[in-house]
Amino acid sequence: MPDRKMFWRIIRRIFASNRARLFVILLALGAGAAVTAALLNLQVDAKRRLTTEFRAFGPNVVLVPKNSPSADSRTLPESASRSVPAHLPTGEVRVSAALYLIADVSVPSSGKATSAVIGGSNPSAFVTAFPRSSNYTEPNHSAENVCVLGARVARQLNAQQDAELILSASNRRESCHVASFRETGGPEDDRVEISLPAAQRLADLPSRISAIELRVPGTPAAIQSYVADLQRRIPEADVRPIRQFTEGEAKIYDRISGILSATVALVLVLTSLCVMAAMTNVAMERRNDVGLMKAIGGATRRVLRLFLAEAALLGLTGGVLGAAIGIVLSMWLGKAVFGIAARPRLIVYPVTVALTIIVAIAGAYPLRRLANIRPASVFRGEA
Amino acid sequence: MFLRLVADSFSRRPRHKLLTGAALALGMAVATAAISVSLDVGDRLAREFRSLGANLVVTPKADSLPLEIGGVDYRPVNAGAYLPESDLPKLRTIFWRNNIVAFAPVLELTASIFTAPDSTTHSSEAANVRLIGTWAGLPMYSSDGTTFTTGIDRTNPWFQVQGRWFAPDAGTLKRVNVFPPDLPPGASAGHTFVPVPDECVVGANLAKRLSLRTGDHIYTADRSTAEMQNYFGRPNLPCTVTGILSAGAAEDDAVLMPLASAQRLARAKVGEYRKLYVSVLTKPEDDFGRRDPKTLAPADYDRWYCTPYISSIALQISQVLPGADVRVIRRVADGEGAILTRVRTLLWLVTFASLLAAALAVGASSAASVIERRTEIGLMKALGAGSGTVGFLLVAEQLLLALLGGGLGYSLGILLARLVGQKIFGAAPEFSFLVLAVIIGLAAVVTLLGSAIPLRRASRYEPAPILRGE
Repeated sequence: MPDRKMFWRIIRRIFASNRARLFVILLALGAGAAVTAALLNLQVDAKRRLTTEFRAFGPNVVLVPKNSPSADSRTLPESASRSVPAHLPTGEVRVSAALYLIADVSVPSSGKATSAVIGGSNPSAFVTAFPRSSNYTEPNHSAENVCVLGARVARQLNAQQDAELILSASNRRESCHVASFRETGGPEDDRVEISLPAAQRLADLPSRISAIELRVPGTPAAIQSYVADLQRRIPEADVRPIRQFTEGEAKIYDRISGILSATVALVLVLTSLCVMAAMTNVAMERRNDVGLMKAIGGATRRVLRLFLAEAALLGLTGGVLGAAIGIVLSMWLGKAVFGIAARPRLIVYPVTVALTIIVAIAGAYPLRRLANIRPASVFRGEA
Repeated sequence: MFLRLVADSFSRRPRHKLLTGAALALGMAVATAAISVSLDVGDRLAREFRSLGANLVVTPKADSLPLEIGGVDYRPVNAGAYLPESDLPKLRTIFWRNNIVAFAPVLELTASIFTAPDSTTHSSEAANVRLIGTWAGLPMYSSDGTTFTTGIDRTNPWFQVQGRWFAPDAGTLKRVNVFPPDLPPGASAGHTFVPVPDECVVGANLAKRLSLRTGDHIYTADRSTAEMQNYFGRPNLPCTVTGILSAGAAEDDAVLMPLASAQRLARAKVGEYRKLYVSVLTKPEDDFGRRDPKTLAPADYDRWYCTPYISSIALQISQVLPGADVRVIRRVADGEGAILTRVRTLLWLVTFASLLAAALAVGASSAASVIERRTEIGLMKALGAGSGTVGFLLVAEQLLLALLGGGLGYSLGILLARLVGQKIFGAAPEFSFLVLAVIIGLAAVVTLLGSAIPLRRASRYEPAPILRGE
């Protein structure tokens, strides 16, 4: 079809005629697409990543025996901790079961003794509960009889690393070696952490625990539905989200995702406006061309179609190039911010390209004015 | 003539200049909004993080080891050390006093709770209830005339009270001026002290167990034990329930009352507290902040002391509270620091990206505007203008445009930033001249860079072919 052939020939000529201008428009479109792709990708990823970051606050859900959270005798069966669903689509739930009791602690080497709270937890809790506590070295898990000493207990007992501790409650005794110390500013500072079986022997409460602490990843809404589900599964326990953290996190999460969304929207608007401005300049420059086309019988619609095709092509090229750069950029940004490269989301790519094409065509809106050009006045050189 | 040329260029093609200027203004508006929000967001978020509660805890240095399980201290009331309440106003004198959001002293004891003063059939009883004496909404007046309101309702904002908190002066003696007509016989004019009725807030679980409602009364002793308690100097304390507390934690099973009431209940503990929670705005600890202040050189030490790191504020607090051990609640402080640092980096990168987009787009449109003036440049050169003169003229025009567009963009951007800030944080970011300077500078640099390449090419134009229309 000769008509179509001519159409593409003209398009080719348009592109070839002014390389500098082509470059400028492609740059504007490409930069817009790159930033849009990077921000969209980062936004999807950052929101997910943030909920993971919130786990730095430690446990956010706690299971305690029903009706009497403070009673010392009430306990839960240890099996309850195994019926906690650990796999969520958003990540792993960290479960740690603990048994607390009060016992006498003495250090044979320094001869000091005091009463202290003994926290028996399954070994992983040493590591998981407060990953960021300072002065913390990971205990050696090979031996069961190691313990982690809270800073204030250590000061009171004047205990050194690797010292032997004697724990006694009623007539039962356990001994352990101090593996490390920790200072958290919380009740852990006043505790001696030992392994769960040792605490159960000491308290004479085999396979009983006094609390289960959970670190549940996910958005505030997801945590809430998880808590409701858990309460149905384990009716004998009282499942409570730790409001101090769940509520604070929800607030902060809303703020941050609000800022990200607002910034993405702003950048999108900005890009489309700037492309529009660039296109207007193009339109002015094209007065002669359009005048000529009209003078030799070109219908306004066909002339416009020509320019719209040009805009769409520019949008496509700019979008494809820009989005690719943007996704790479977002991976780098993710690495810079969260230490892990943002996972590229395939959906972002077509969305960005489509957005760029739409922006380019919308930006071509000023070309509409070309329809009003009267060939004669152009040729006379009138402005 | 130069000025006339510039003026002419603007007046001859106003629509065209308007378009380039509009692109510039919009780009700079977005840049302004992004920078203003980013500058502001750190402080706002830091404040937001205070909804996680206190990040410092103060305990007596000479304290015995607390036996705390599930938030309940199993030590007898008389074991351990206490701190004087009278030192607390000194917290408002430290260097970073304005970073202290709130603080609340706590004195805890356990007691039995009765719903009726004597053992009638209507009375229900709960043994070993945790009584927490603290402040709520307590105004502190300082010498400069400002009022600082503090208490557990500020340090623990997730506490929800159905009804209201106890009055700040409940359980104390209020000074009342007395005038002649009301005087009791034989007294002279002056003032007298009137006891304010005791009030308390009951945790939701406990309230459910005892079926208590707002307006009910609770007693810490019934008639049979009251006598014995009085003998030991521990008075019965009837109080009116003003609210039901839902805390989502161990406090749901406790009774909260004014510190003064708890001090009266815990015999001989007048004016003393056991634990102080402080919520402060801090700068996330970096490598410098984590260094041991004892090893710092004097100049570095001053810098460390005058930076609101949590550790330096902790030191300042321990300096005004003698005998106190100030500890950082790592769970809150470190989590906050980590997230705040990440979010700040993220926002700065996002701001940078939007600046880049704005710069490229503005540069592109100013480049386009130079390219299309080939004919004009050709004409000027044909009339004998040197490349330098032409370049200077065009640069002057672009700079004027940048100034106008940048200024307009700044005002637009401030409005935008207010809108965004209002929507997200409920408060507009503060106005900053620094941003204005940055924006105008950025606009100038971007337009100049955008026009530089086409200008260089323009200086190489031969006038003749251009004028021929080739």
